Amino acid sequence: MNLISGIKLYIEKMCTESGPGMKIILLDKETTSIISMAFSQSDMLQREVYLFERLDSGRSNERLKYLKCIVFIRPTKQNIQLLANELRNPKYSAYFIYFSNIIPRTDIKYLAECDESESVREVKELYADYLCVNPNLFSLNLPNCMTNLNWLPDALKRSVQGITAVLLSLKLNPVIRYRAGSQVAQLLAKLIYDQITKESSLFDFRGNADGAAPPLLLLLDRRDDPVTSLLHQWSYQAMVHELLQIRNNRVDLSERPSVPKEFKELVLSGDQDDFYGNNMYANYGEIGSTIKQLMEEFQRKANDHKKVESIADMKNFIESYPQFKKMSGTVQKHLCIMGELSSITNKRNLFEVSELEQEIACKAEHSAQLQRIKKLIADERVSIDDAIKLVALYALRYERHANCDTSGLLQIIKSRGGNTQIVPALIEYAGTHVRQGDLFNMVRITDAVKLTRILIKGLKGVENVFTQHTPLLKETLEDVFKGRELDPLYPAINSELVPFRRPPQEVVVFIIGGATYEEALTVHQLNNAGYRIILGGTTIHNSQSFINEVLAATNGTQFKHTKSMIKYCSPDNL
Amino acid sequence: MSGNPFDDEDAPSAGSDEILEGFLCPICRADLKSIDFLTEHFARQHAEEEDALKSVFKDIFSKAKKKILNNFEDDRNRGALAGVMPTASAASAAGGASAAGAAGGGAGAFRTQLNIYSNMAKQSVGAERSYLEYFQSVRNPRLERYASETNKLIIRLHRLLKDLPTDAVQRKHHEQQTVPWLDGSSVKLCPNCAKSFHIARRQHHCRLCGGIMCHDCSRFLQLENAMQLASLSSTRGEPLQQMRHHEDRAIRVCQHCLWLLDTRQDMHESRTCRPMLVHVYEEIRQLQKQVSPDLDMYVKIVNSLLDGESIFTIADAGALRGKIGQVAEKIDLRSKRILTIHSEPGSRDEALKKAIRLSCVQAIKERMLSLPPLPDEALISQMQERRRMETEQRILTEQRMAMEAYERYGAANQTGINTEHRSFAQGSDLQSLNNWSAPQASTTISSVDDPLIEQINIIKGYIKQARQDMNFDVVETLELNLRELQREVYERQRRSSTPQLDS
Repeated sequence: MNLISGIKLYIEKMCTESGPGMKIILLDKETTSIISMAFSQSDMLQREVYLFERLDSGRSNERLKYLKCIVFIRPTKQNIQLLANELRNPKYSAYFIYFSNIIPRTDIKYLAECDESESVREVKELYADYLCVNPNLFSLNLPNCMTNLNWLPDALKRSVQGITAVLLSLKLNPVIRYRAGSQVAQLLAKLIYDQITKESSLFDFRGNADGAAPPLLLLLDRRDDPVTSLLHQWSYQAMVHELLQIRNNRVDLSERPSVPKEFKELVLSGDQDDFYGNNMYANYGEIGSTIKQLMEEFQRKANDHKKVESIADMKNFIESYPQFKKMSGTVQKHLCIMGELSSITNKRNLFEVSELEQEIACKAEHSAQLQRIKKLIADERVSIDDAIKLVALYALRYERHANCDTSGLLQIIKSRGGNTQIVPALIEYAGTHVRQGDLFNMVRITDAVKLTRILIKGLKGVENVFTQHTPLLKETLEDVFKGRELDPLYPAINSELVPFRRPPQEVVVFIIGGATYEEALTVHQLNNAGYRIILGGTTIHNSQSFINEVLAATNGTQFKHTKSMIKYCSPDNL
Repeated sequence: MSGNPFDDEDAPSAGSDEILEGFLCPICRADLKSIDFLTEHFARQHAEEEDALKSVFKDIFSKAKKKILNNFEDDRNRGALAGVMPTASAASAAGGASAAGAAGGGAGAFRTQLNIYSNMAKQSVGAERSYLEYFQSVRNPRLERYASETNKLIIRLHRLLKDLPTDAVQRKHHEQQTVPWLDGSSVKLCPNCAKSFHIARRQHHCRLCGGIMCHDCSRFLQLENAMQLASLSSTRGEPLQQMRHHEDRAIRVCQHCLWLLDTRQDMHESRTCRPMLVHVYEEIRQLQKQVSPDLDMYVKIVNSLLDGESIFTIADAGALRGKIGQVAEKIDLRSKRILTIHSEPGSRDEALKKAIRLSCVQAIKERMLSLPPLPDEALISQMQERRRMETEQRILTEQRMAMEAYERYGAANQTGINTEHRSFAQGSDLQSLNNWSAPQASTTISSVDDPLIEQINIIKGYIKQARQDMNFDVVETLELNLRELQREVYERQRRSSTPQLDS
């Protein structure tokens, strides 16, 4: 269950099936990102793929008849049309066509009719149709998937395709469970189920012969846990994404003034960069000390090389040059990122903000917290975005509290010139009327087990004030693996497959509305404990992109649950 | 117990639950107290039972192999294996070297197997579905139809061109004879552009299918091209040169016919197109393919040298390194040559060349320049020295232990003297493992007619030759063979000399 090797094996297959010789690969916008997440350019060069071209680039008609052409595209109407044009007027000697998902037979027929010079050698579906971010995390790059609190049709279609591809590339035929009461989750579950039933021959993996419980596909709704995506996170990958943004494993630093030119765009791939691979889940403090170690090691090596006295020494230096360069590049890259992170952290007073965020998320102390929030959001050193997030967390937590003073806090935001619309939108999107599960541990006295657990948690004390919060996902997954009754909260759509009281071995979780790197960390920890979990989402959110999604999703809805905040609702209230 | 995986291997061979330790005879399982008693016992009792011994050892080693494969990461295994080896070689010293040789071969085999094993734990490729069959079932009938149509056209073209008269009137006659023209009297509109024919827009005929079209819809096939298509040699070029008008030097055809012919030519070209770039590129690939086993071999040789083994010499490593360097230079040269081939700036062709050059540079940097440097001669002799010392040390401790055991159990007096002699012999035997040439020198003079010695000399010749050819795989196997043979020779000598001592 490794998504990166899933994609890699597919691409490897394309390169070997096309045989020896120089090759060009034709891609579309999305498959370009899919490949770039798994392979670097030099990896592709080693496989004799020398040129990359977009099918829709519309470049010259230059013919290179001595090149073989690998076509790897998504089966969209537009792509089929472009490919048909290419085949009618082939530029290369042979075409090996791979579609990243299930394609209608009629499209194949159309293409076959266009191949008049017999240049097509292979036509296949290889299900590499998702972006593998980490070995256990995939994304579909859909920053907005809802409008008016329902699916955008394109996003829905893409989600069905993406999840189908994940299942096929890992050879899973799962039980499908969805979050009860969530319209979007139910619809997605139904469409995936229809697709699997329609293509039952594809999903015929005889892996369950030994009586193991079938894998589980769990479709969740971001609205059950809006808190995780609002909190400031301190693990390396999550923090880089929160403060600098990771897009397709790339960090764009070109806007930052203090960054040297060669680090304007950095690739963060655990697969190619061992340091990152080992440390992406480590927290800010740990990274600092690890980098220090790395620096010392590097300096030791550099010093070794400085002692170049004889010609033989110089030769040795040049001979070990590739590793030397690689290592120095890694160190400098992460040093540069850490430098940026620490300067942002200090500038925005993030330690203080984050501590309060965690308190709100984990403890119910209304009046004390309200005072602290009031003080912090009035502080000019705290950025307006962080202030709004604090108010948003407060509003979510104390939505039904008798003395809830969201309006008062919004007034302060407004006086600072912030956009107050976010808070009511968030309540409409993920308020208590939508949520299921106990996001804030508001337990009734009757649930004795849970109550004791919380009490024990409280007694143990807090190890780190910045990482008190654990995502709701952890609890959900623990319930799954402990074999608890799932049906009331997460009903199964294909209940004939559900085994009797046996927990599944493999779980694919998909969060509609986007996953977060913090949840990827949770999954990573559980996987280390021996479970097999894959996490995916319509996108990977940080707090900013999450707020944007909330605004887009609530666009056009009647605000029914936030009457008290009505005057802060319109976008032009500045 | 769990520390040594061989402990529980003893249990089945002992045939009971109790664990036996000490110098056990592998066949009758009696405890012989010391190596020398064991060898003697074995030589006396089980001389004819070599096969039985072999099978016992095979069994032990296959079990050991399994064990090691299962927890190969555990370093302790190596210690355990080393612990077993001396007893094995001591026992096989009496029983014949072949068993030990087989075991050594086995050890080598499973070491390479380890890598495959760790690679096999990978994930398998995900699901896929091929549409090629369906695609072909749609495409091929269409293509066949086109193919037969095109063939017909080419036959006609051939006939047209074969004796094409230069005179315009004769030419028209000839053309009409070859391909009957359609009767144009009832055709009022051009079938292609649907414009009406009149004085200014006259009817024309396609010379290949006889169809009707207007001048604007006509296409012209140049005679040179036509000759090529009809696979006629252009020796008849002179009369064609005489035709004055541009249109005379071409054949009027309709769009469809021209397209069919063009497609055919295109396919032909794409299958035979091999520009300079392709040739040079294939040379580079060939070189890369050739050099890749050398790279692995070089790393192996260097490691073997650093381990203090004497199979390869430092000269071997140097020679191989030189060879790799030469190949790297060749690749570099060729990839530079690719860059010099002319191409339009900004074209795909140019980008392709740059990419090839880049990949060559990368390959050279990462695979060839990053090779470990040649080890120091002094360092290697130091390593070899240490290895020999270790072996000697081990032999000494074994002897001491044997003696102690002997004294403790107070055996009969006569055998004691023999032990003195034998233990000396034993020591030199094992020493010869490291420095085989020493006993060799004496034997060659005394028994040249011995077939084994002859064989040894032949193999030495082979090794020399293989070294010159840099065929290091062969060198390795031959060296190992040679050692086995030498051990065998030594054994024989010793066995023939033992009765003399006894008498």
